[in-house]
Amino acid sequence: MQTQAMFYSIEEQSKIAGVSEQQLHLYYACLQAAYFYRQNQRVFIYTQDQESAHNIDEMLWAFDPTSFVPHNLIGEGPKQGAAVEISWQAPTNRRAVLINLTSDVPNFANQFSHLIDFVPADETLKEQARNRFRTCRQWNFNVAHQVASAPQPIDTTS
Amino acid sequence: MSAVEHAFSHQGALAKAINGFSPRQAQLDMAMEVAKAIEQKNSLVVEAGTGTGKTFAYLIPALLANKADAESDQGQKKIIVSTGTKNLQEQLFHKDLPLIRKALASNAQVALLKGRANYLCIYRLEQYQNSRGQLDAQTLADFVKVRSWANGTRSGDIGEVVNVMEGSPVFPFVTSTVDNCLAKDCPNIDDCYLIKAREKAIDADLVVVNHHLFFADMALKDSGFGELIPKADVMIFDEAHQIADIASEYFGEAFSTRQLLDLCTDVLQVYRSELTDVKQLGKAAEKLLKTSQEFRLLFNYDPERGNWREKHKQQRFSHAFTLLKTDLDFLYQVIKLCVSRNEAIDNCFDRAVNLLTQYEVMADVDAMGMSFWYETTPRHVVLHKTPLSVADKFGHYVKESGAGWIFTSATLAVDGAFQHFSSHLGIEHSASLLLDSPFDYAKQSQLVIPRYLPAANDRNRAKALSDLAKPLIEASKGACFMLFTSYRVMHQVAELLAEEVDNRLLVQGQMGKRKLLEEFVEQADAVLLATASFWEGVDVRGDKLTCVIIDKLPFASPDDPLLQARSEDVKRQGKDPFAQIQLPQAVIALKQGVGRLIRDVSDNGVLVICDDRLVNRPYGEVFLKSLPEMKRSRDIKQAANFLSKLG
Repeated sequence: MQTQAMFYSIEEQSKIAGVSEQQLHLYYACLQAAYFYRQNQRVFIYTQDQESAHNIDEMLWAFDPTSFVPHNLIGEGPKQGAAVEISWQAPTNRRAVLINLTSDVPNFANQFSHLIDFVPADETLKEQARNRFRTCRQWNFNVAHQVASAPQPIDTTS
Repeated sequence: MSAVEHAFSHQGALAKAINGFSPRQAQLDMAMEVAKAIEQKNSLVVEAGTGTGKTFAYLIPALLANKADAESDQGQKKIIVSTGTKNLQEQLFHKDLPLIRKALASNAQVALLKGRANYLCIYRLEQYQNSRGQLDAQTLADFVKVRSWANGTRSGDIGEVVNVMEGSPVFPFVTSTVDNCLAKDCPNIDDCYLIKAREKAIDADLVVVNHHLFFADMALKDSGFGELIPKADVMIFDEAHQIADIASEYFGEAFSTRQLLDLCTDVLQVYRSELTDVKQLGKAAEKLLKTSQEFRLLFNYDPERGNWREKHKQQRFSHAFTLLKTDLDFLYQVIKLCVSRNEAIDNCFDRAVNLLTQYEVMADVDAMGMSFWYETTPRHVVLHKTPLSVADKFGHYVKESGAGWIFTSATLAVDGAFQHFSSHLGIEHSASLLLDSPFDYAKQSQLVIPRYLPAANDRNRAKALSDLAKPLIEASKGACFMLFTSYRVMHQVAELLAEEVDNRLLVQGQMGKRKLLEEFVEQADAVLLATASFWEGVDVRGDKLTCVIIDKLPFASPDDPLLQARSEDVKRQGKDPFAQIQLPQAVIALKQGVGRLIRDVSDNGVLVICDDRLVNRPYGEVFLKSLPEMKRSRDIKQAANFLSKLG
């Protein structure tokens, strides 16, 4: 099984009213989580550390109710985890989608059928993202790239 | 401009009568829809978020319609307003109605009608004075106060007796019940306060009742009833979210050992005072008394609810239940011999007949479409037979009435729709209106689900609850409620908190509910710990209550027998009982809670729900879409910050 990796870059047209530039890629991560949840795909959001896990948890919980995303942090919630799990440690159960918010490509990435990653506007972070992009290539992932843009309304009926 | 629009306008009646009145679109929208429903004799369901001003929005079109009919000689347009509690009745009658009547220059006759237990019974007062049971000093003192009030009262409403505590044991002796009322045989019938109040209500243009009274009338559960509602042209239910459950109760039947006990007590009293020659009377009553007490002892010591159908299958219960019948039947036979010797014994005879009928109802546990359940109190057992649905009956009634029906509350919609409410009452074809509250919930309030909570059955649960409560109690300076689903956890948390905080802890059970609330309001830093149901009907304004911590989502207990029966029924229809019953119920309960926390544009507060299912289960979405848009967070520290900035 080849992992499908998609890198979303944050650019001018990615801006969203009410969301700070530093938080933009997190916002898009939430949107992606909401999208895959509605496709009945289980999602793993991998973060650098506990604090960033809390940030994304806070953001998902405060997200627009029409794109509600049931989620849990590692160490809480149901035994097999909710539809979306947030962790700064390696996953403990099988999921289809990995949303990577760390500076490297985690070595368990190939267990997932989809990898979602972001290329923030900040130069340092952008450089790290480029490295991850290369790593994915080297690991023989099917890598693609597109600009993150203001979302199509998410179809909640599907 | 219609009369309703004019009344709410800048130059209108309300602006003239009320200082600082400013027209609000949502309120006017509601008033217009109400006027339409009254005119077209339709039914209307309105959710009006807290602060919309729904009371005026239904009273004004109703009174204007009444006034218009009176002025054009079209006869009397009769209006019934039904509210959730006695307190709300009083507020409506003594505060809102006088204001609006004056503003509209309405001549409508208004009346307040309460339940039977609120009116002095002259016959029983005199009886009691003559027989004088063994009263303790306090009750005797209360009795003396009641008696001197009774000499001067015009309404006979015991609410006027302000110097006697509400729950005083003297009241049951000076008021009547359906069972012990002598009705047409009563020597005092011409002076009966209850009858007077009812007559006044029947003549009035607008009557304020409560839901219990309304459904007692509708289900013909009290003599002299069934006269009020058929005459009404407009029916308005405030706090309408409660009525499906109350209707079920009245369309059902109950049989309690208390009724048996009361009958025995009264028979014994007659035997000792007037019919001393009939020795069997005393024996039969004492025998039944003993059997019904033994029946209670079969059930668990602690009060509980359960499935009567299942209990009835067990031999020891069915045997004891049969004994009740034998002894009741014996008592009936003995009383029968004394019939027409005096009014009191005739009344006992009627009651025995009724009880025998009720007994048969509870013995026939195979009846379809019904839930059979029991509840126990420390001394008594009540058997209930409750219809699984009142939709057919109630819906039919509404349709046939030819009246306008308004159902309103701050909490009716689930996920923006009224289907849950309407289908329970069989009024799916009603018009509906959803009005948001004018409050800025995102600024005024927060909904917080703490992280890393141990599971409900984890032994560290109480510790975790008290740990997270501590900073919130400090930040809110004690303006804090903690509500629990179990007494056990409540006491554990109370014990832990006592070590951790200096605030006085008021724990349910320490004193009566009313007293507890008074203490909470009076003592600035006191924290209140209680069970979840405690919150219902509680009204604590402003900065006295800024933080409410709930230990679990308010799902009804799966052990509840009525819920079980309804779930079975829904399953048989191929639907999901959780989505159909439990979820909407919990959503409404939580919405009620939010409404109690934020009561005003200047109110602020944090609602902490220690149940992460709201975050990690798909149904969290239904809750969020149904609750007001509070700011959501999972961070206790942040919430504490918010609270500490309020003071």
